[in-house]
Parts: sequence; C-alpha cells; structure tokens
Amino acid sequence: MAIQVSGITKQFGSYRALDSVDLEVRSGELLALLGPSGSGKTTLLRIMAGLESPDAGSLQLNGEEALGLKPRDRQVGFVFQHYALFRHMTVFDNVAFGLKVRPRAQRLPNAEIKRRVSELLELVQLGHFADRYPAQLSGGQRQRVALARALAIEPKVLLLDEPFGALDAKVRKELRRWLRKLHDEIHITSVFVTHDQEEALELADRVVVMSQGRIEQIGSPADVYDNPASAFVYEFLGQVNRFDCMVDGGLAHIGNGALAIPTDGDVRGAAIAYVRPHDLAVTPAVGGPGRVSGIHVVGPDARVEIELGGLFLEAEMDRERFTSLGMALGDPCSVHIDRARVFAR
Amino acid sequence: MPASSSASALSDPAWMRRLLIATALAFLALFLLLPLVAVFAEALRRGVGAYWTALVDEDALEAIKLTLIVAAIAVPANLLFGVAASWCVAKFDFYGKNLLITLIDLPFSVSPVISGLIYVLLFGLNGAIGPFLKAQGIQIIFAVPGLVLATIFVTFPFVARELIPLMQEQGTEEEEAALVLGAGGWQTFWRVTLPNIKWGLLYGVLLCNARAMGEFGAVSVVSGHIRGYTNTMPLHVEILYNEYNFVAAFAVASVLAMLALVTLVAKSTLEWRFGAELAATRHK
Amino acid sequence: MVATSSADVAFPEKGSAVTSILKKPSVLPGFGLTLGFTLSYLGVIVLLPLGALIAKASGLGWYGFWGAVLTPRVFAAFEVSFGLSLAAAAVNAVFGFIVAWVLVRYEFPGKRLVDALVDLPFALPTAVAGIALSALYAPNGWVGKPLNELFGLKVAFTPIGIAIALTFVGLPFVVRTVQPILQELPPEEEEAAVSLGATRGQTFWQVVFPAILPALVTGFALSFARGVGEYGSVIFIAGNMPGLTEILPLLIVIKLEQYDYAGAAAVGASMLLVSFVMLLILNILQHWMRSRHAR
Repeated sequence: MAIQVSGITKQFGSYRALDSVDLEVRSGELLALLGPSGSGKTTLLRIMAGLESPDAGSLQLNGEEALGLKPRDRQVGFVFQHYALFRHMTVFDNVAFGLKVRPRAQRLPNAEIKRRVSELLELVQLGHFADRYPAQLSGGQRQRVALARALAIEPKVLLLDEPFGALDAKVRKELRRWLRKLHDEIHITSVFVTHDQEEALELADRVVVMSQGRIEQIGSPADVYDNPASAFVYEFLGQVNRFDCMVDGGLAHIGNGALAIPTDGDVRGAAIAYVRPHDLAVTPAVGGPGRVSGIHVVGPDARVEIELGGLFLEAEMDRERFTSLGMALGDPCSVHIDRARVFAR
Repeated sequence: MPASSSASALSDPAWMRRLLIATALAFLALFLLLPLVAVFAEALRRGVGAYWTALVDEDALEAIKLTLIVAAIAVPANLLFGVAASWCVAKFDFYGKNLLITLIDLPFSVSPVISGLIYVLLFGLNGAIGPFLKAQGIQIIFAVPGLVLATIFVTFPFVARELIPLMQEQGTEEEEAALVLGAGGWQTFWRVTLPNIKWGLLYGVLLCNARAMGEFGAVSVVSGHIRGYTNTMPLHVEILYNEYNFVAAFAVASVLAMLALVTLVAKSTLEWRFGAELAATRHK
Repeated sequence: MVATSSADVAFPEKGSAVTSILKKPSVLPGFGLTLGFTLSYLGVIVLLPLGALIAKASGLGWYGFWGAVLTPRVFAAFEVSFGLSLAAAAVNAVFGFIVAWVLVRYEFPGKRLVDALVDLPFALPTAVAGIALSALYAPNGWVGKPLNELFGLKVAFTPIGIAIALTFVGLPFVVRTVQPILQELPPEEEEAAVSLGATRGQTFWQVVFPAILPALVTGFALSFARGVGEYGSVIFIAGNMPGLTEILPLLIVIKLEQYDYAGAAAVGASMLLVSFVMLLILNILQHWMRSRHAR
C-alpha cells in the first residue's frame, strides 16, 4: 500500500514539530525517516499510525483519505521503541491479541488463530518461547515479539519507531540484517524511524533526511551520501571535516591559503567546505606543510589528526595502510584532497 | 542499593545497635502491642462464655450487619471512583489536574468530625437541603444513607491514591499498542489496563475496606446513635463502654481488632509479593 | 480544512467542550466519561458539603464568626488540640526515627513482624484504640496503676493521656516517610566521609541526618495534622473537661448536639483555616530544605 503525505503540519504549544511536510511512500518499499531528536520523524510516524492528529494537511493510504480513520481501521502495524508488550500476557497471547479483539463477525476460529500465531513465531525464530512472559525475554527477543504481534493482523503498512534504539550494538546489527531479510521476503510497505545514519543507509531502499520539522532530502542511500542537498545532510551522514572558505576560480581557499581544494557547482564567495576523512590522503613529507598531531587506532581503522597552517584536519584510513606509511606523532606530512563539497554560508 | 548491606566500616558498634533496637522495640511494645493485647485481655476477662454472649447480643449483631452493609456500598462505589479518577489523571494531561489531585487528597487532611459535620450541615434539620428532603420523606442524617455518605467521604481517596502513581508509572504505550492492533476502548481497558493494575487495586480496596468498617468520628456525628438502627460496630463499642459494660465493649472491639490484624497480614503479603507492582510512591 | 474535521472521528474527544482542557488530544478514549464521573462524584461528596460548611460559617457574618470562635472555651480547645498534637508529633519524630533506623539498618529476629505492626494505627479502628488506651492508663489499668502507685502520676483523663493517644495515631507517619529515604541512601556518601576521617557521629549528623531531615519534617507534619483532627482515639482517655482536656473535634460534636450548627461550623472552619496555614508553613520549610540539599 502506498502512503501519500501532503502538507502535514503539527504544533505542540509553541513548538513546531512538523512544518508542511510532503512525502510519498512507495508500495512495498522500506523507507527510513532519519534525523536528530526533535526533527519530527517520530511525530510523522505516529500521525501515519493515527496515534497523533495533525493540525493541517492530508494523509492518504492507498489513495483514500485516512486522517478520519481510527488506528484500528487503518490496518497499520506499529512497533514501539520500547516494545510496549502486554506484560501480563504470554508471548503467544501478545501475538494473538490483534486477532482476538476483532469483532465477532470478522474473528477467525481459535484453531486458525493458533496456526497463524505459531507460524509468525517461527518466522521471528521464537517458536519455543510461546509460553514465556515478556519479563523473561531479552531485549532483542522482545523486539521480535513486538514485530510478530504487529504482523499478525496482516497490516498493509508496517511502522517502526526506533526499533533497535534500546538494544546493544551487537544485537542491533544482527536485528538490522534480519529485518532487511524479512522485508525482502514479505515486501510489506515499511517506514522506520531512526537517528542512526549507519542504520538508515544500511537498511533502507530510500532515506528521508529530516531536520526541525522539515524534509531536507529524499533519495537512495547512495544518493544522499554522495550528493547531499544541503550542509545539514552532509554533516549528518558520516564524518566530516568542515572549514570556512572563500571560493574563487573553481578553488576553495581555506585558512590563509593553507589549502586550496577544487570544487564543483556554482557557489561563489564566502562558503563552507566539507571533506570526508576518507577522502583525505596523508603522506609523510619532510618539511611539512602539515604535522601529525594525533593518532587513534580504533579496531581496523586508523584516524590521524593533522595540524596544517592553523587548521585541524582529520583523516581516516585502513590500519594496514597507516602502518605501511610508518608515521608517528609529530612527524611532518602533506595532505592531498581530491574534491570538497561546498555550500553557501 | 540497600543501606543494610553496607561494609563493616559503616556499621554501628554492637552496644549502640542493641541499645537502639531495645529502645525501638520498647517504644513499639508500649504504644502498639500493649493496647492490642489489652483489647483481647479485657474482652476475655470474664471468660469465653461472657465474650460469646456479648457478641451474639441482638444489638451487637445489628451493629455488625450495619457495618457490613455500609462497607458493601461504600467500597464498590469508591472502587469505581478510584478507577475512573486514575484513568483520567494518569492517562491524560489537562489543565487543573493538580487541583483535582489535591481535591482527591482532601479527606486525609480533614478531621473525621468535620467530615461528618459537613453532611449534617447539608442534610441535617437546620441544614441546607435537609428540610427539603425531609418534606419528601427522605431521611439522610440519623439514618443509614448518612452513614454511607460519611463513610464514602472518608474512604474515597484510598483506591485512587494507590492507582494514580501506579498507572502513571505504567504509561500509555500498552494501551496505544492495543488500539493500533484493533482493540476498542473497553476491550483495551479490560484486557490490557486492568490486568496491569490488579494488585494495586486489591491493595487499595483492602485499605478502603479497613477504614470503612472502622470509621468512628465521621459516622458518630451523622448517626444519632440510634441503637439497633444507626449503630455501626465502632459506635456500638462506644455506647457499651459509656455504659460501663466493659466486657461487651471489648468483645465487639476485639472483632474489629481481628479485622485490623487480617488487614495487616493481607497488606504485608501484598507488599512483599507484589512490591514491585505497587506504586513506588505509596508512602507519602 | 478537510484534515481537522475528519480527524475528529479518529480522535473522538477532539473539539468537544470537555476536551478543551486537554493539553493535547489523545487517541485514548474515555476522557470525557471518566472526568465527568470523577467531577460529579467529587461535587456531590466533597464540594457540596464543604460548600454548606463555608456557607454556614460565613452566614454568621464577620463579627458573628469571630464571636463564636474567640471564646475562652474554644481557645482552650485550640491549645489542647494543637499543643498536644505538636508534642505527640515531636515524640513520634524522635522515636519514629529510631524505629525507622532500626528497621532499615539492623537485623534482628522478628523484624518483618515488627515492620508490619508499625501500620497498626492505620488499620485499627480509632474507637478500639480509644477504649484500649483508656483501659490501660486508667488508675486501675495495667500501666496506669503502677504509674499512679510508684510516681503518683495520673495519665488517664489528663492532657498526658491525650498526648499518649495522639502519639499512637501519629506513630506510623514518621516511620513510613523516613524509611524509604533511609533505604535509598547511597552508602557511598557515608563511605566517603569515613574515608576522609570523620567519626561515626560526625558522619551521622553531617551526612545522614540532613538527607533525611525533609522526610522527618514531612512525617512530623503528617503526624501533627492527624493529631489535630483525631477524635475516636482521644475522647475515651481524655476526660473531656472544658478548658483542660477538651479537644476541638469534641467541641464541634457538643455544639452539634446543642443544635448550634452555626457555632459548630465556625469552629470547624477555623480549625481548617489554622491547619491549612500551619501545613503551608511546613510545606514552605520543606521546599526550602529540599532546594538546599538537592541531590
């Protein structure tokens, strides 16, 4: 089912959570709403589910106006950040809940409910946990129960609010991969909210970058990373080196001529230049102009801080490459940058 | 981290421990244990026979019956109130909420006698709407309805005060999840909210009932002390005592004391087994 | 605008009069129903009767009101009720603290039983406590007799008897407010003090005591408030002599029996007023203490 969001605005007192947001969610895609706290992403998700109502705008589910519909009539599945499992019901009863509360006319026979629930529990790999209570499960297991519960009612859309936010890093990575696989199997239109850009870039078909109630950019993960539409998007996705600069004749002049980097685009004059640490090549060079001011080896990566003409740069590279360069703290070095992204100041 | 598991560097010397424990126990024995024991001792002073006679006395039985009737009306009514009040206070945010909560706490800061006084002023012979009701043949003061009203006033906060912090702590996410999954309002309440609050509810009802059966001051003011008609057990105790019928007075009192002990046991059991599920802010 | 009007169906209460007081619309149902019921209940049970009290008391007019209140008998009753409640609350503050300390920090056989017993004054009907205390402290009672014979001390029918009854009813308040605070006190602070060279006494007075002081004051206030209004536990042991051992609630009852409704209302209203003011002062004191010792 496709979702069409038009001109949605939401205000909480004097705080504007969403400012005339337009968005189209394509049928069957896995879409990420990415942004820092306060960007409005969770509010937008809750409006789609019917848990909040907007002050203005329209929402269409499969071409039909949906704002007048109660959550139960929208056929959406919602997965809460902190799971919201029914603490006094077993895993089985949690998953079966949506099927058991249907009006008598639409309710499935008990045997059928049991079959479906068991199937879903197998799907989320919790088949043996049917009689456990939420308190007896780990965070990752609870999240999978929450997912199975939402899927039980055969929703047309799946909405997930920071689904992995409350989990350890390792569990988070596993569940990410698992969710992607699940989506590839069932192809249900899914929207998930996250503040973790790595998660969005890894999982989603398309990413919606939001800030302060507005959409900054919509595109595929590669798109938003390689061609960020604004300074905000560039800074939010991945590490950056950021400099004030003057653009003149196709070059960004940084510092007092300490660096001159080729740019593209038609920004002129005072601007901000961004360089990714990975795009910074460092080589030992007797006589400078730079000097290694810090070295951090973090697992398989090495981060090198360089002081150059009053500027502070950060480069990132493979540990092996770094070792082969044979540089130490205080060594003179030179820096080569292919290209900088430049945005008007 | 409980302070009782602190390292030896923080332990008090043995002589101090013994002294403080002895002081505490002596204080409690004098003020709590002694009166409790006295009730039973005085009741059995003339032997079990006299004790039993006092209990099956006609007026005593009427008093017991009336106490049960009043409690049977007041407690369910306050249960309903408690659930309704805590639903709107805990699950919603609105202007005037603090005022409402203060209002709910009011009976705790008002003397029981004043609790009765206000009903006399409203429904009594010289009261605001008393004469009007009397003309309709409705008698509130010096009759059972008055007892029920005064009891309701004194005991209505118990369930609400127990449930409000509990439901606030539990939040609204489970209810929201139920609504999205397709449950209606009542379904959500019965299947999701109620099971989550059942122990807090039981606890509140327990305290409410103990107070309802034992209330004296408020009920005394509105009852008129009409023997066999508007006498609850506590009032009957007073009448017997004032007539110097000590054994009978303490016999009836001992039944109330046993009720108190049962309440204490049930209360402690609930606290011990379900402490985590009862409101953390219970002891205010 | 299409959105806002059709959204009213999804958010059932939006737009109605009741929910204009909601700070934000909620998808949960039942607000109007439960609030309406709650307010009606409170209106009938609390507000209407209280209104009758205020109406009756103010019906006397300014001079009538103060005329009814500022009499020697009422004054004496104020002294008895408020003064002895203060004394009882003070006793409870000291001994209640010791009980809380012992229950939290020490182990001894039967501790759980003792802990449960502390709530007895909450559970025991006041009339039962009243006659028990009266029997105990009467000149021929278990405690009254030895006190009379050995020290010539009379307890029942004197202010001392009243104070004892008020101590009984207020006992759990201090214990139950101090206990959780003491329980939650992190041992690290005391350990820090000790490691810096403080003696046990210094650690107690400078680290532990200030931390529990707000709770102690709260417990004191609650015990005091309870004592002022107490009726059933006191009237049996009190003697009820005007000017000496007559408590305020009893005075109200007497006036009612004499059909002096206005007088009873006046005394009742003045009682509420004074209690309110004193508790306000204690609240402010607490607030000030909390802000100084914020953790």
